[in-house]
Amino acid sequence: MSIAGRIPPWIVSMLLALAFWQVAASVGPISDSSIPTAVDSVTTLVQLLGQSETWIALGQTVAIAAIGFALSLLIALPLGILIGLSRFAFTSTKFVFDFFKVIPPIVIIPITILALGPTFQMGVFLVVFGLVFALAIQTAYGVRDADPVLLDTMRAYRQGIVTQIRYARLPSAASFIAVGIRISATAALVIAVVAGLIGGAPGLGRQLLLSQTGGLADQTFAIVLLLGVLGVLVSHGIEWSRRKVIFWEDR
Amino acid sequence: MTVSRRLLAVLIGAWLPVLLVYLWWTASAESTNPYFPPLSVIWTRFLELWVFDQVPVHVVPSLQNLAVGYAIAVVAGVGVGAVLGVSRRTARYVEPVVDFLRSIPAVATVPVFIVIFGLDASMRIAAISVAATWPILIATMQGVRATDPTLLDTAAVFRITGAQQLWRVRLPAAQPIIFSGLQLGLQIAFVVTIASEYLGAGFGIGAFTLIATDSFLILDAWTGVILMGLLGYAINIVFDIVERIALRWYIGQKKLA
Repeated sequence: MSIAGRIPPWIVSMLLALAFWQVAASVGPISDSSIPTAVDSVTTLVQLLGQSETWIALGQTVAIAAIGFALSLLIALPLGILIGLSRFAFTSTKFVFDFFKVIPPIVIIPITILALGPTFQMGVFLVVFGLVFALAIQTAYGVRDADPVLLDTMRAYRQGIVTQIRYARLPSAASFIAVGIRISATAALVIAVVAGLIGGAPGLGRQLLLSQTGGLADQTFAIVLLLGVLGVLVSHGIEWSRRKVIFWEDR
Repeated sequence: MTVSRRLLAVLIGAWLPVLLVYLWWTASAESTNPYFPPLSVIWTRFLELWVFDQVPVHVVPSLQNLAVGYAIAVVAGVGVGAVLGVSRRTARYVEPVVDFLRSIPAVATVPVFIVIFGLDASMRIAAISVAATWPILIATMQGVRATDPTLLDTAAVFRITGAQQLWRVRLPAAQPIIFSGLQLGLQIAFVVTIASEYLGAGFGIGAFTLIATDSFLILDAWTGVILMGLLGYAINIVFDIVERIALRWYIGQKKLA
């Protein structure tokens, strides 16, 4: 087998994409714009990675995402369980939760800027707003999905509500919650970036906004590349831990 | 379901939203906090601005960009996704790049398009269509790949192969999966529409709202946020209706199963 044959396809395709970018930025219709070349952008990215500001911004973005994510779970799981236990509560809250679930956090940024300013807390608030409704609905669906025969059996044996939750409701909700967590973890990072880019909250989003408005095209592209790498790492990390936790389910 | 039971279901579904709006209305009535004006005042301003005085100036251009950008994404996503779904060899080389590009938060790609296109409408349409393409492309690719082998065998017996097989068998069978990608794509398109206006535009509903915020026109900002929220919700409702009509055959099949 030749050396070329042993290079993994993803490296080949990434290199081809970078080469395409390099050519497109040098000749052709969009080369007249201020688009930086691939080489310049990657070089700037490497320089950025040598600066502590970048790592501080990265830390702030991850912290906003992580704290918002944790708070969302703390609110949504108990709320979802409570709602899921009662049919009346479930149908009553369905419209409100569905309504806020589909409204993207970016919509309310102007109000959060007014109320909280371009701060860390504002970012956390946006993450919670973006995650909590979907997570609560997802949990409630899972709780409602519990095996009715199992529940009847437990009631027949006069098992209390705590036992029912512990051994019937939660196990059935677990896979629903797992799906919610997987989607929310990536969403949290996205919202944390948006909070910086649009709302001015600290982190990589704000660095990106400052680069773009400052006319630093190389740095703008470099930060976007960094966000892509971060996104890939997070989604692969989630996939990896999912396989560890739910090891009996392949794919 | 009888009429009275249906009425009861509507009542149970409706009391909480009504109560919440009522609470907001009464709790904010005496509000002197400049950031949280009384809902009654917001509502009056909302009617002044958006029924329908400013709609042609701000809402129409936003929805136009959204529609054009989304249409491009649907064609590109389904087209490229179908090709990648059929040809695994091509997919092996294209997938890593797609995987990387879609991992960039959609809103964060807007500055890139500003660098390339400047601040005009082409920037917005390009940003919307590219961001919305990824979920549609991936859903189509997965859907086309996962065609039921029995269907393919049957098609082979009837000598339906190649492009015809893709068009008449694989794509229709993949519709339920493709629609989930289309929905995600539409939601992303809406978010990028607003983001592209926040980040540089003189008009459009997002621009209107952020400019109002920066100028401390707090009432106007509130009406903008409420309007965007309602639009975001309405777009989802419209999509659900279209999906239900397009997937009638599939929903019927699932009920039978």
